[in-house]
Amino acid sequence: MSWKTLPPEVANRIAQCSYAAPPACGRGGVAVAAPLCRGVHFPRGDRLVRRGGAPQLPRLQAFLICALAVFLALPVLADDFKTANALYDAGRFAEAAALYERITPKSAGVYFNLGNAWFRQDKLGLAILNYERARRLAPRDPDILANLKFAQQRLGVDEVNQPPQALRRFWLNAVRSRTVVEWAWLEIGTLWLTLLAVAGCVWLPRWRTVCSATAATTTCAWVVVTVALLWQATAPPEAIVVATKAQARFAPLPEATAHFSVTEGTRLRVREDRGQWVLVERADGQQGWVPRDAVANVDL
Amino acid sequence: MMPMIHTPLVTLSEAKGLATIARQALAVVRFFASLRMTLFATLLFVSASSFAQVSVTATVDRNRIAFGESLTFTITAHGTQTAPSVSIPKVDGLAFAGPAVNTSMSIVNGAVSQSVGLAYQVTPSRTGEFVIPAIEVKVGNQLHRTAPIKIVVEKMSTPTDLSQQVVLRVQTASQQVYLGQIAPLNVLIFARADVPLKGFSAYNCEADGLGYKYIPNIRTATHVQDGVSYNVFIIEGVIAPTRTGKLSFGPCVVKGQLAVERRGRPVDIFERFFGREEIREVPFTMDAVPIEVLPLPTEGRPADFSGAVGQWNLEVTAKPFEVNVGDPITLTIKVSGAGNIDLVPPPTLSGLDEFKTYDPTTKTTKNDLNSEGERVIQQVLVPKSAGVKRLPDVRLCYFDPVAKQYKTATHPPLQINVKPGAGGHATIVSGGLRLRPEEKLGHDIVYLKGSPGPVALVFPPTAFWALNLVPVFALLGAMAWKRRSDKLRSDIAFARRSRAARNARKLLATASTPDTLQHALQTYLGDHFNIPSAGITAAIVEERGLPATVREVFEACDAARFAGVPLDVAAVKQKVEQVIDELENASS
Repeated sequence: MSWKTLPPEVANRIAQCSYAAPPACGRGGVAVAAPLCRGVHFPRGDRLVRRGGAPQLPRLQAFLICALAVFLALPVLADDFKTANALYDAGRFAEAAALYERITPKSAGVYFNLGNAWFRQDKLGLAILNYERARRLAPRDPDILANLKFAQQRLGVDEVNQPPQALRRFWLNAVRSRTVVEWAWLEIGTLWLTLLAVAGCVWLPRWRTVCSATAATTTCAWVVVTVALLWQATAPPEAIVVATKAQARFAPLPEATAHFSVTEGTRLRVREDRGQWVLVERADGQQGWVPRDAVANVDL
Repeated sequence: MMPMIHTPLVTLSEAKGLATIARQALAVVRFFASLRMTLFATLLFVSASSFAQVSVTATVDRNRIAFGESLTFTITAHGTQTAPSVSIPKVDGLAFAGPAVNTSMSIVNGAVSQSVGLAYQVTPSRTGEFVIPAIEVKVGNQLHRTAPIKIVVEKMSTPTDLSQQVVLRVQTASQQVYLGQIAPLNVLIFARADVPLKGFSAYNCEADGLGYKYIPNIRTATHVQDGVSYNVFIIEGVIAPTRTGKLSFGPCVVKGQLAVERRGRPVDIFERFFGREEIREVPFTMDAVPIEVLPLPTEGRPADFSGAVGQWNLEVTAKPFEVNVGDPITLTIKVSGAGNIDLVPPPTLSGLDEFKTYDPTTKTTKNDLNSEGERVIQQVLVPKSAGVKRLPDVRLCYFDPVAKQYKTATHPPLQINVKPGAGGHATIVSGGLRLRPEEKLGHDIVYLKGSPGPVALVFPPTAFWALNLVPVFALLGAMAWKRRSDKLRSDIAFARRSRAARNARKLLATASTPDTLQHALQTYLGDHFNIPSAGITAAIVEERGLPATVREVFEACDAARFAGVPLDVAAVKQKVEQVIDELENASS
């Protein structure tokens, strides 16, 4: 099965999605990005809007189309995945990477293997980029975390990529340990538990003490989970430096004064995107403009 | 420099406590003695006087007085309660009056000490120097002899300056010390026995470059010089010079707390009763004492000297003595002595080529002033071959500041028996530490994943908001419903009014006669206003300000019932409905 065997309507819809556009699906709302929905976001209105002001689709219809596409594309994914793995085992890393890149939708395993293929070609920036993408989908996978750390250590950016403040480092690690969907389910779960506990206080006077304690606990949990969800859903997009070395400048001009250097594999927050230049922020808070082709966005 | 002193190892506070205990004990004993009732007291005195060592001293409260003043000359027999027999010799120019007999007894840690004192008032008849000669004192059958005491009688009044009554002195072995040496240095405070010194509040010494440390707890002692008794307070300390050159210790200042009599008349009854004593802080000073810090001599310095200064001993043990090749032997080296243990390096081991070694473990202990210490070094040695017959010899080279020369402490090599064996890789040393050959682990990325794993999931915003909002609204609705139910149960007026329209419309639906139509209207009005419906008439229109339609319904029904006027049932029903609607709208 290949793309040609997909229903034309589905294939067209998938083709309309932009692969290069950085913002994740769901920005402004709480929906989660899917590979098929790259470049698509859910505004607060009723209709799904493609970036660039393209024709609109009803939101539910868009969701169903994406889900159907994923379902139909799974066999393709499995075939290409195995082929790419065989190429990798044969030492043909460049071809394996190209095949992994073609697989859509990409899963955590695809990104992980793609990262390995780049790693074997000594392109550690691209390797880290794909490990980061894999971590977005499977944030607690020990293999992904191990390879990401190993690649960062190889480039010496593991310290640079962590915020200097211990509390902030702890919070970011905690937030990144769950996907947005997981945080959303946790938020719903804690909310329901809170409401059930409140209902218990009202309708079960004998259990009022237990229900009150439960309500207080679940309310605290709900607040924390909600903050984490909002943090992750509204955080600026992240990017990885894929160029060997780049200068972050004070202005988006080639002749502007260099502020600091960023090395390959450094994780940055994209604060502003002006096409050829992006304003990025390092983990320690330093900001500067870097050329667009020096970095690649992590967000799916 | 005043000579030194014997004495108790108690702090000032402890001494005060013991004195209190002794006074209390003495009071008890006197009480028992006066009543002659207690066998214990008798036995105590008998046993104490039987076994105590008797000694005799002679003291004066001052040895320099002004002409016209008197001093107190006391002969004290220690270790007995028997009054001594004394014959005071004649001294030209001195008149002795007395004696007054004082007995004292104290119990310290179960040890009984007792004494008898004979106090004489000595008054000079002229100025000059006098000597109270040695006096023979007979205690029981023993004859003792006191030391002669020199007294000066001056025309001028004696200085009452405290600086001559309280003196600070430095006690040190030498005023030349070596860099790296830790030398004891004590500050002694001599206070004449009649100075009412209650304690000390502050102490400060300048000792730049000397690394002066002292123990805050002050030792106490007593000392007699020239017949004058002194209380001595000893501040024990050390100096550990940090640079060479001619340095100085001091000046030192110590603030003493003196009990002085308050002047003037007593202010109140409490002062009359408890006395008029107050504590006054008086600083006592000591001039700087030169200390010369010498560098360690270069002559005769051994090549393996690495900074240890002091007097050190070396002990070496090993375990086990019989091993197989590859098995460990723990060599324990103990370095102990006087000096700065922190400057003592690990001793040198020679002949280590035949052994595989691991990092040694060390444990160091030292006293508060760091003047004495001990370091135990455990070195694991693994013989490489069966030909090894002895352990390495141990050497420690140090500089002895007392002998002023370099010394080397050595320990002859210990004999061992190494048997050929398989040569273990996993070994156990004493203390349960397990040592393994260093294993080098490889590092690389984790291999490919065999399955694609999870793809990104989409959480539709509609579903998310629905799952968030539905339970909230459900709970709010349920709570509102419960509140209404509770009110219907507890508030009759509200319950009747809530059901008034529904009940009235049910009755109206089946009403076809004037009676039933009127009953429906009465029922509605009764429920609406929470009044008995049976007694409602057209008069309610004025009472409650109801619309005129109500009166029309009542009048139509009455006309039909009592005058036989035909009734338009549909029209009346419509009017009743109209009344219900109007009142419901007005109430809502």
